[in-house]
Amino acid sequence: MKRYDLITPEGTKDLLFDECLSRRAVENRFAEIFKSHGYSEVVTTGIEFYDVFNKGSRSIPQEQLYKLVDSKGRLIAMRPDSTIPIARLVATRLKDAEMPLRLYYIQTMYENNALLKGHSDEIVQAGIELIGSDSKKADFEVLSTAMETLTAFEKDKFRLEIGTIGFFKELISKLDIDENTAEEIRYLVSNKNYPALNDLLDGIGNNDATRALKQLPRLFGGEEVFERASKLFSDEKIEKMLSDLRFVYNSLSKLGYEGKIIVDLGTVNRVDYYTGIVFRGYLEGIGEPVLSGGRYNKLISEFGFDAAATGFGINVNAVSSLLLKSENAPRTKVSDAIVFGEKENVLKAVAYSNALAKSGMTVENSLFETLEETREYARKKGISKLYVVSNEVKEIDL
Amino acid sequence: MYIMNKPIRIALTKGRLEKDTVGLLEKIGFDCTTVREKGRKLILPISDANLEVVLAKANDVITYVEHGVCDMGVVGKDTIMEMGGSFFELVDLGFGRCRFALAAKKGSGFYGGYDIKTIATKYPNVARAYFESKGMDLEIVKIEGSVELAPLLELSDGIVDIVETGTTLKENGLEIIEDIAPISARLIVNTVSMKLRQAEIEKLVSLVEANL
Repeated sequence: MKRYDLITPEGTKDLLFDECLSRRAVENRFAEIFKSHGYSEVVTTGIEFYDVFNKGSRSIPQEQLYKLVDSKGRLIAMRPDSTIPIARLVATRLKDAEMPLRLYYIQTMYENNALLKGHSDEIVQAGIELIGSDSKKADFEVLSTAMETLTAFEKDKFRLEIGTIGFFKELISKLDIDENTAEEIRYLVSNKNYPALNDLLDGIGNNDATRALKQLPRLFGGEEVFERASKLFSDEKIEKMLSDLRFVYNSLSKLGYEGKIIVDLGTVNRVDYYTGIVFRGYLEGIGEPVLSGGRYNKLISEFGFDAAATGFGINVNAVSSLLLKSENAPRTKVSDAIVFGEKENVLKAVAYSNALAKSGMTVENSLFETLEETREYARKKGISKLYVVSNEVKEIDL
Repeated sequence: MYIMNKPIRIALTKGRLEKDTVGLLEKIGFDCTTVREKGRKLILPISDANLEVVLAKANDVITYVEHGVCDMGVVGKDTIMEMGGSFFELVDLGFGRCRFALAAKKGSGFYGGYDIKTIATKYPNVARAYFESKGMDLEIVKIEGSVELAPLLELSDGIVDIVETGTTLKENGLEIIEDIAPISARLIVNTVSMKLRQAEIEKLVSLVEANL
């Protein structure tokens, strides 16, 4: 029989010592940032009914979900995303709350990834959702908080990329094509697959919209992108979208992030619930976006409560893994001291070490029978102080 | 733009695609002596292009690029179709041309009858996706070596495989039923590298496109 009781499932791992310290440091820092802007924490359930992730704009491919069956035979999914459960929560228990709502979360998500490709199936994500406002101010608040989060541990090698899903949706609406073809175009644009996109669009027609779509994957970079875009295709809607986005771009640049903001109008996420501005954050050293977010004005209404919303999530594991490699990483400390008491002084020794701990030291109790063994242990662990408790307390520097 | 002196790392599929890519880089004007005289080394600098060439098996090219440990890669469309993954597929390099095809024993009438067909292939995902698009249920057997053997030994009704000239098929009494997809080498780029090193990558890509 094959033994699975000694290993953990594919895509998961145990965290030890310094790894935990880095992860908690990241979580705590993010929570501080979110709280300082008036966000309150919510914790959603780890398992949800499958239906939550299976309808309308929130359908997550079922092969990516970890699924279980409850006692009544109903299909349950392990939380693959936090925004969808929070939308459910807002539309039910929070629908009478005073708007806007500022919510934050730090919780684990599960995604069933392809085997043996080195992807994590268990990811801690932190993020905020700002609910009940469709204003530019709200977009800007979320973006600037995203920036603050992204740069919490890395001050230089990062980029925030902004785009709008509307540009693509507007161009697609000009074409006379079915849903499947539209999805195929979206897929090719998001993969920047220039050759296949050109072939596909050549088969559809040669007009302003197809010509613009062909260029869409190339529409990324700095501020010049806006001019390139409006030259490609222009109507009232697109003009407004581009000028809104440009406003956001300039505002963020003025916050001191000059040169760190990029624009990509070809950002067309697989997740369908985004309706307006979308953005992603990159950190050098991590091969995939660490932060993603955007405006989703229709998602909450799918649960029966109409509210505009925007938010983002950031991959805590990715940020912690970078922190762990940096000089600033919190490291596990050796205990400051060890306390040893001979047989009749055991209780006294415990009381003494408790007192030392209260005074702010990290103190271990010696579990050994003899002083010699205690010294040997302290030497191996690198503990530099030994307290021997008898009638009086003797302090020994090791 | 912040300055990065780190070279751009490009993973090449060992073998023919490697040679064709080196040919292309030389046509652009880069000095590829280090790659031509590589010995047993697996990471090779091309200093005048600020490139670092990594030689890998096709599947690994995708893995390295996906994880961002290589910024770019050259890999066949066959591997991309079989492996999938998320990266940008920027350029069809035009070399390494062949195609995926469905073949069966000559005159066997592959699509006839009501029974569920068995397909032998080295590319189970490609085969599955192709028949899925036709709404056809079928059994797939993964074969590692000469796939042509499977129908001859009557393990399968047909094969899905890469075909260049079709000579091997013909010599073994098989015929092409239909073509599935054309294949050629592609230049792929990690999604984050594309954003963090846009200027350098775009410059290289336009040089490549100009010299195809």
